[in-house]
Amino acid sequence: MTVASAALGGRAQQIAPADYTIDIAAYALEVAPRRTIKTIAYNRQVPGPLLRFKEGQPVTIDVTNQTGSSEVVHWHGLFLPPQVDGAMEEGTPAIPAGGHARYTFAPRPAGFRWYHTHVFAGKDLHRGQYTGEHGFLLIEPRDNPGHYDQEIFLALHDWDAALLASADGAMDPAYNVSTINGRVLGFGEPLRVKAGQQVLFQILNSSPTEVHWIALAGHLFNVIALDGNPVAQPQLVSMLRLAPAERVSALVQMNQPGAWVLGEVRKHIMAAGMGIALEYAGSSGQPRWDQPEELSWDYLRFAASGQTAAPVTDVVTIPLAFASKFAGHGAMDHWTINGKSYPDTDSPTLTEGRRYRLSFINRSTNDHPVHLHRHSFELRRLPGRPETHGILKDTVLVDAQTQLDVEFTANDPGATLFHCHQQNHMDAGFMMLFRYA
Amino acid sequence: MHNRKWWIWIFALLCATLPACAQGNYEIQVYGADTIEPKSTMVELHSNYTPDGQKYMIDGVYPTNHQEHETLEITQGLTSWSEVGFYVFTSEQNGHGVQWVGDHIRPRVRVPDSWHWPVGVSVSTEIGYQRAVYSPDTWTWEIRPIIDKYLGRWYLAFNPALERTWHGPDVAQGVGFSPAAKVGYDFSKKVSGGIEYYADYGRLGDFYSLHNQQQQIFLVTDLNVSPKWEINIGVGVGPTAATDHWIIKGILGRHFNWKKESPVD
Repeated sequence: MTVASAALGGRAQQIAPADYTIDIAAYALEVAPRRTIKTIAYNRQVPGPLLRFKEGQPVTIDVTNQTGSSEVVHWHGLFLPPQVDGAMEEGTPAIPAGGHARYTFAPRPAGFRWYHTHVFAGKDLHRGQYTGEHGFLLIEPRDNPGHYDQEIFLALHDWDAALLASADGAMDPAYNVSTINGRVLGFGEPLRVKAGQQVLFQILNSSPTEVHWIALAGHLFNVIALDGNPVAQPQLVSMLRLAPAERVSALVQMNQPGAWVLGEVRKHIMAAGMGIALEYAGSSGQPRWDQPEELSWDYLRFAASGQTAAPVTDVVTIPLAFASKFAGHGAMDHWTINGKSYPDTDSPTLTEGRRYRLSFINRSTNDHPVHLHRHSFELRRLPGRPETHGILKDTVLVDAQTQLDVEFTANDPGATLFHCHQQNHMDAGFMMLFRYA
Repeated sequence: MHNRKWWIWIFALLCATLPACAQGNYEIQVYGADTIEPKSTMVELHSNYTPDGQKYMIDGVYPTNHQEHETLEITQGLTSWSEVGFYVFTSEQNGHGVQWVGDHIRPRVRVPDSWHWPVGVSVSTEIGYQRAVYSPDTWTWEIRPIIDKYLGRWYLAFNPALERTWHGPDVAQGVGFSPAAKVGYDFSKKVSGGIEYYADYGRLGDFYSLHNQQQQIFLVTDLNVSPKWEINIGVGVGPTAATDHWIIKGILGRHFNWKKESPVD
């Protein structure tokens, strides 16, 4: 049985101590020597504290908002009731400026999730996901196999945004600083490993708008989970692509002693700071980077082979067409789903237990990392590819001017938000609600 | 007929008494603050025709009436915040054929994006020579601050340029003030319209009378058909006596990127 509540005010906090507390407050993040970003963070650290929950075991988190604006914390990738999921559009209460809230829920499903702010930023590039309000959340299964020697959590983030004219004629955020775990390459402690170890990398792209490509020089990633969900076929890859809000869990066999760089494959983003040194025990010196010449990523490498065991025939298809509306060369585009912008977007009604196919038809010239709250979906068809199955996600990148299909089972009644995870897109109308009958 | 000739002589006399009414109708453009990216080049052809302009030769300077000016502008990006532009000015007119007019060089720097200024700001300085039969001031220098701002569908630009003659009758004039401004509106992603204003007020601190100032107002359209192309078309009027009365202008620009495109750059 799901346990969930989001209580506002001080009385709840007096009943019993919470398992975790999160203070949302202003924070000066030192990203590099003599380079500080004034932002908002959880518990005065970026990323926020790592939360480890046991699957299904109720947990209580007290959140205090010490900022001057309303806040809300979204538990990304969890199957939670709308009252506690952390999206005001679904019905989770906002935490007023100076106020606090208690979230109580039974976390599920197991896997690598995350938590982050879910407020409107608009033109304020120091609010919402442009801030440091994000943290790792790991829901441990009841039986954790633990086939690794060390677990390393990495958050990719972009900072110090300004609106700049883009090639498509509209203004988009552009960033001066890119970090891993809040620091630029060369600043802070390196990752320390030992030869012979198997290290599990839990990598999150918490960027407000940017896709990132990550490689670890001298090593390969064995991808075992996407968005916290085990993949049907783990595969060795030389680089990872993570759209905003996506996570990749990958094992790396530490068999190349030395000092290496883990970082963004694209040169201008690594130059902006996105990298971190990795040192084997007993090794030191300048970390080595092997510059890849191509970008390579394919979701389908991790798909199940063969046909679905029992294909569901009674699937209701819901086409969702994404398009932009020009608002001037000096403005960010407005966005529509099926011709309408939130809050005027349609709210399709779902029937509990029924299987739905969402056909994402991206008519725009931008890629969109779209996210469905409170559910996981299965990738079913990628552009120009045959039907597939076996990859469960909560966020998927839909390439510009392509169509991508996913399926999910309506098994979690309540208002369910769907949106592009780019902060500037969701703020400009790229959002809709599903409702249950 | 006799009366008309009389008016023409009066008009010619007025123009002759003006302090060097040399119009820069070779490159009619309000600058935006952006610069060309490094490893890329913008090639622009400025085509300006004066259907109704100065009809008389004054101080050895050809009349502008029915002159067709073709100016080649080549701008090379140097860094993410600097560029240098080169101009070749030509003129075509009945009785004179196609003539080389002069050349200019224009380095420009801008405030980098990382400074996060609320407006775009750059400064260009232009040095050049033009033949005396087209401008009595043969060697000139200009410094042009450039401020611009996009506000949704609106675009605002202001170029309060200062000019100095190094060789010619206006050497003694000192620094002249020649502002230009633009207000544009995006009707769609590809079509913008607006008004451009160009003026020469004369010496700083001692402006000409309004009658003798150069003032031009253009109705323009910018066609943003592709990031590779720049198209600007306009028609202008000069309401003061010192200004050519009608000018038609066009700018056709092509952006060339010399960078070897790599997905990992």
